Amino acid sequence: MPTIETNPVIKIHDAWKIYQMGEVEFAALKAINLKINEGEFIVILGPSGSGKSTLMNLIGCLDVPSKGIVCLNGENISTMDESELSNIRGKTIGFIFQSFNLLPTLNVLENVLLPLEFQETDPSKARERAKKLLDIVGLADKLHNLPSQLSGGQRQRVAIARSLAVNPQIVLADEPTGNLDTKTGSYILEFLDKLHREEGKTIIIVTHDREPVKYATQVVHIKDGILEKIEHIEKQQ
Amino acid sequence: MKNRAYLKMAVNILLHSKLRSWLTIIGIVIGIAAVVSIISLGDSMEQDVQSQMNEMDLTSITVTPGYTKATSTMPGARGGARGEGGGSITSSIADDTELTDDDEDALKNIEGILYISGQVSGNEAINYTGESATLSINGVDSQVWQYMTTSDLETGRLLEPADKYVAVIGNSVATTIFDREIGVNQVVSINGKSIRVVGILESEGDRSDSEIVMPIDAAVEVIEDAESDEFDSIVAKTENSDMVDPVMEEMEEKLMLSRGIYNEDDRDFSLTSSASNAESASEMMESMTFFLSGIAAISLLVGAVGIANTMFTSVIERTKEIGTMKAIGAKNRDILMIFIINSALVGFVGGTLGVILGSIATSIFPMLGVTIMRRSGTSGVVLSPTLMLYGLIIAVAIGMISGAIPAYKASKMRPADALRYE
Ligand SMILES: Nc1ncnc2c1ncn2[C@@H]1O[C@H](COP(=O)(O)OP(=O)(O)OP(=O)(O)O)[C@@H](O)[C@H]1O
Ligand SMILES: [Mg+2]
Repeated sequence: MPTIETNPVIKIHDAWKIYQMGEVEFAALKAINLKINEGEFIVILGPSGSGKSTLMNLIGCLDVPSKGIVCLNGENISTMDESELSNIRGKTIGFIFQSFNLLPTLNVLENVLLPLEFQETDPSKARERAKKLLDIVGLADKLHNLPSQLSGGQRQRVAIARSLAVNPQIVLADEPTGNLDTKTGSYILEFLDKLHREEGKTIIIVTHDREPVKYATQVVHIKDGILEKIEHIEKQQ
Repeated sequence: MKNRAYLKMAVNILLHSKLRSWLTIIGIVIGIAAVVSIISLGDSMEQDVQSQMNEMDLTSITVTPGYTKATSTMPGARGGARGEGGGSITSSIADDTELTDDDEDALKNIEGILYISGQVSGNEAINYTGESATLSINGVDSQVWQYMTTSDLETGRLLEPADKYVAVIGNSVATTIFDREIGVNQVVSINGKSIRVVGILESEGDRSDSEIVMPIDAAVEVIEDAESDEFDSIVAKTENSDMVDPVMEEMEEKLMLSRGIYNEDDRDFSLTSSASNAESASEMMESMTFFLSGIAAISLLVGAVGIANTMFTSVIERTKEIGTMKAIGAKNRDILMIFIINSALVGFVGGTLGVILGSIATSIFPMLGVTIMRRSGTSGVVLSPTLMLYGLIIAVAIGMISGAIPAYKASKMRPADALRYE
């Protein structure tokens, strides 16, 4: 058995993502090595086009590396097929996207219920959970609104509620504040910080913006597909 | 994901589809409407022909004076076939040619003929309790008619050899033509002669309902232009339907001989068999139904392509949503089921509308004159519940089949790529 004090939820070893565009090959990620421990607040920071979303896709089991290994809770996802990947995603990861990605034809409640339905959660328990989460994000009065009837900040709160529906181990957010003003952006970040501090969730935020860094326990700098440095931040209680 | 959730998602997608997608349903609607109404029309025509064939005896051959190459026209088919009055076919070109008892004698000894009867027919005024109506009278050989007719009795009896001034009357003659019903043993008067009714036939739903059948001797007396030993038609009945063709050939030979005709083209008489009429009627019906079903099938195919097309567009439009669903835990199977059920629903909606349209079309067919092939008195065309059910099943199946490929494509999308789609 390997002797490690902390258990890495995510371990990436020499992972490459290479896109084939006709004759040309493009390496969006080059030899990435990264360990993320349970309960950390990670900010992946880098300029546009540096490969952040590509990395997030690997961490979130939305994609597999072209080369190298990505392990989630000790399981190598690089060799898994789509149905195994979707199974893991649905149970352990909650996604928050820059453009919210709510389903436009489902109302707020139905959007939050959807991940629970994919997990075949008992319908009455699912409703209870979804309503509770929407209450927490302050949208208890908007259950039956369509996403198009909400403001951007409200939509992102629905997305947060949805990401937490299955009570995932990891919350993965790609530019969660990118489409929001500073005030609403801070609300979202504080909410994620609270989740981290109070429930011990592993939070991973991908961004080009330094704002989330103040909540981070670890900042991963990425540029041109290369992991430049990892900054550990010690926090005073 | 559970089935109920699939259905919910599929319904949600359906309800939020654009007008454009609804328009493609029209293909299925028209296709199903065409298929069900054509099939039900064809069915009822087929039934009509079948029931006629069943009550028809397929063993009778009718000789009529005059010769035309196309003798067996549909509407007249029945008259000759029923073996009780070839009257309707005598659209004789040559009025001067007559059939005589010499002709009958010439045919008598042909092997395979069971009965033969010369017949006269004409329209005369019938008087009953002060009312008068002009009806068709058939004079038949009362020795054999009771064995040759296919009509069933309602009350009374058929003609018997000793009968003279008596008649068997059609159902309408007894019940509707005169204000007062005619019963068995009542007496009507035709051209001054008293004729006693001995039997009333069951209603057949056709021309024979308003006809009167009498022994030929009495008929010759009451029909003004009829003469004894001259016939308007001669009806022969063969032992079985296989004998019809050979007997017909021999009849033609014998008649040419007895009438002194040496050249086929000079023939002055026509032979029609009930069987050939029935066959050509049902063949014509079959080929027409087949042809129309072909057209309906093509419109269904067009409908299917329309659905497939809409589904492809719908899947592409929803690429990002599919990516999102996969990110939050949808399995390939979930996506596949949602989209297949969605296209099955499209088929279901199209099928339902199609069946409704089909029923409407079917119920107005009779008003559009599609009844040419049908006789009055039979019930109208109605869509059977089974046919409606089949229509729906076909529509749903078409929806599922044409949605299968787009749905499969959707299910196979890689989430990372799908999420990137704009
Ligand atoms: N499917 C693809 N095919 C080809 N190239 C791709 C593909 N996906 C990403 N890339 C390339 O990989 C590089 C990294 O893309 P990525 O989306 O990870 O950037 P990013 O860091 O998220 O940028 P942003 O902050 O603008 O979102 C880019 O140069 C992009 O063009
Ligand atoms: Mg990005």
